[in-house]
Amino acid sequence: MHNILIIARREYLERVRSRSFVIMTFFIPLLMFGVTVVPTMLANRGSSEVKHMVVVAADRDTAEMIRSRIEQEQEKPKEKTDSKLTQKRSLPAANFTVAVSTNTAESERAALTAKVKAKELDAFLWATPDAIKARKLDFVTNDVSSFIDNGVLGLTVNDALRRQALKNKGLKDDEIEASLESVEVAPQSPLGKGAPDPKVMYIATLGMVMVLYMTVLLYGINVMRSILEEKTSRIMEVMLSTASAKDLMAGKILGVGAVGLTQVGIWAATAGILSGGALVGVAALIKGVLSVKLLIYFGVYFLLGYVLYSTLCAAVGSMVNSEQEAQQMQFLVMMPMILSVIFIINIFQHPSSSLAIFGSLFPFTAPLVMFSRIAIQPDTPWWQIALSIGILVATIYGMVLLCGRIYRVGILMYGKKPSLPEIMKWIKYA
Amino acid sequence: MLTIELNQVRKCYDQFVAVNDLSFSIEQGGVFGLLGPNGAGKTSTIRMMIGITVPDSGQINLFSKPFERKSLQKVGYLPEERGLYKKMKVLDQLVFLGELHGMTAGAAKQKAAEWCKRLEIDAWLQKKVEELSKGMQQKIQFIAALLHDPDFIIMDEPFFGLDPVNATLLKDVMLDLKKQGKTILFSTHRMDQVEKLCDSICLINKGNAVLQGDLKTIKAGYGKRNVQIEYEGNGDFLQKNPLVSAYNNYGNYVEVRLAAGADAQQLLHMVAERSRVNKFELMEPSLEEIFINMVGKNDA
Repeated sequence: MHNILIIARREYLERVRSRSFVIMTFFIPLLMFGVTVVPTMLANRGSSEVKHMVVVAADRDTAEMIRSRIEQEQEKPKEKTDSKLTQKRSLPAANFTVAVSTNTAESERAALTAKVKAKELDAFLWATPDAIKARKLDFVTNDVSSFIDNGVLGLTVNDALRRQALKNKGLKDDEIEASLESVEVAPQSPLGKGAPDPKVMYIATLGMVMVLYMTVLLYGINVMRSILEEKTSRIMEVMLSTASAKDLMAGKILGVGAVGLTQVGIWAATAGILSGGALVGVAALIKGVLSVKLLIYFGVYFLLGYVLYSTLCAAVGSMVNSEQEAQQMQFLVMMPMILSVIFIINIFQHPSSSLAIFGSLFPFTAPLVMFSRIAIQPDTPWWQIALSIGILVATIYGMVLLCGRIYRVGILMYGKKPSLPEIMKWIKYA
Repeated sequence: MLTIELNQVRKCYDQFVAVNDLSFSIEQGGVFGLLGPNGAGKTSTIRMMIGITVPDSGQINLFSKPFERKSLQKVGYLPEERGLYKKMKVLDQLVFLGELHGMTAGAAKQKAAEWCKRLEIDAWLQKKVEELSKGMQQKIQFIAALLHDPDFIIMDEPFFGLDPVNATLLKDVMLDLKKQGKTILFSTHRMDQVEKLCDSICLINKGNAVLQGDLKTIKAGYGKRNVQIEYEGNGDFLQKNPLVSAYNNYGNYVEVRLAAGADAQQLLHMVAERSRVNKFELMEPSLEEIFINMVGKNDA
C-alpha cells in the first residue's frame, strides 16, 4: 500500500506539473468553446449584404402575401428578443428584398434562372398554382447549401400560403391570426411539480454523459501511454526490483485518475467562476435535475468506468511497443464506450427498451448507459441498478486479475507485438 | 551468514530452459561473479533472485530467509536495461526511488546529494534526466541502486558503456562497499572486467553451471600454463610449435599456452635464439580462457 501511494503521488505530481497538463486544461475548454459557440455565432451573424429575390405566383395576392410574410419574419427578432430562452430561428434581419411577379410563363422561368445564374438576381421562388397544388415549390438560388436560411424560408412560405388559403375562404385577418397562433405542448412528468424540466434534464444529462465519456476515454488512454513510456524508457526493471507489478499498476491507475479528477475539478470551478452571477440562475434551473443522488451515481459510475477501462488500457500499454501499435489497440478497447455514445440518444428516448436494459447490464457499456437511464428515468428499477453495479464490480475484479497477469509479463517483453496465443500463455505464467 | 542461496532453481519459458537447476550461494561480504556469454541465463537468474519472476522449481533464500518482498528494501539492483524517467529531475527521481526502498524523503534527499557529490555530478541534481549524457545517466542509475544503503548489491553489466575514468571511479566505490561488508554480485559477459574484483564465481552457459567456486582455487587448478611474450623479429615459428598448444597474436605481443609436459624454460630458449625478447611472463589463465576451454570455442 505504501508503494502504491508513492507511485501514485509521483504519477500525479509529474503530470500536474507538466506543460501538457496546463495546455490541455486551458485548451480543451477553449476548443469546446470554439467548436460549439463560434460557429453558432458566425451562423447567426450571416452576411449583412442585401439579397434580391423574386416571388412568382399566378395572382398578385398570393405573391404579395408571401412577400409580406418574409419581410415580417425578417423584422421579428427585433421585437421578440426578450421572449424566450430558446432562440427562435429567424431569417437574418433585412436580408432579402422581395419583388413580386405574376408572369408564370416558362420563358419567364428560363429568364429568371439565367439571371440567377449570372448573379444579377440572388433567388426566385416559383409559386405557380400547379406547384402549390403539387405541394412542391422550386426555390432557385445560388445558396442551395444555406440549410437553416432555406428551412426558415420554407416555414415562412408555408405560413403565407396557409394564410392566403384561409383568406380566400373569407376569414378576417384577426381570425386567421388567432387560428394560426402556435400552441406549446409541454411534457409533464406524472411525478408532478417537483419533477425537473425535461429539456434542462435532457441537456444536463447529455452534458454529464459527455464528461463521463471524455474523462474515462482521455485518462484511460493516458494510463496506456504512460505505461508505454515507462516501457520504452526501460525503467520497469528498476521499479520491479522494489515494487510488485500489482503495486505499479494500481499506483499508476490511482495517480492518473487523480489527475483526471483534478482537471475536471478545474474545469468545473472555472466554468462556475466564468458564469459568475449567472450561476445562481443556473443553479436554480438545474436544482431539480442535479439531485445529490444523481451526483453520487455519477461518481460511482465514473470511478467504476475509469477503473475498468484504465485496467484494460494498462494491459494494452504493457503489450505494445510503440505509439502506432497503441493507437490501433486503443480503438478496439474503447469500442464499447464509443458504441454507448452512439446509442445514447436512443436510450434517452427509450430508457426501458431491451437495448437500454442490456446496455446498462453489460459491464463495458454500463457506466454510460446505466447512468443515463438513472438520470432520465427516476423510477429505474433498483434491482437493475444494483445488478449493473454488481456485474461491473465483478468484471473489474476479474479484469484486474487478468490484466494484472498480462501486465506483469508484458512490461518486460520487448520486440514484436504478442499474438493472442502468446497472451494466453502470459496469463497462465505463475 | 549467507546473503543469498539458490537451491536447484529452474526457470523455463515454453520449451526453452533459461535456468537449469542452478545452485549457488554467496557469503555475506563476498564479491561474486555470475559470468557467462549472452543468453546464458544470467538475467533470468537475477530476476528470480529479486522476485520479478518466480522459479518453476527450486528454492531461493534471501538473507537466510525464504524470499519475501520486504527483504528487497535491503537489496540494490542495477539492471542491464538501464532506464530512468526522462522528464523527471535527477534529485526528484532519486528521492522517489529511495522512498520506494523505504527511506524517508528527507533522508533520501540527503543521501542523493552525498552520492552525487562523490560521483562528481552534484551540479546536475536539478536537471532533467533527458538533459544528461549517457555516462551521467549511468552514474545516476548507479546511485539509485546504492542510495538506500543496501546490504546486497546486484549489478548487471555494471561497466557497460562507461569510459575508463568513470569505470575506475565506480570500481573504487565497489571496493569501498566490499570493505564495509556489503555483499556484491556482478553479472557480466565481459569476464576480464570483473575477475580482478571477485572472490568467487559461477560460470554459466545455456542455463547450466559449468564451473563454480573460489576464484583463486579455480585458477590455481589450471596452473601457470600461459606465457605472454613480447619480442622483436619474426615469431611465426611459435604458431606450429610442439611446445605450444594454443596461440594468440595480439599485435604487440603474443600469448601462448604450453602443451602438456612442455617446459617454459625450453620455450624461452627457443624464442631467445630466434629473436630479441623484451618480456617473457608465465601467467594464470584468464577466466575467459578457462570458460572457452570448458564449453568450447563455438559457445563463447
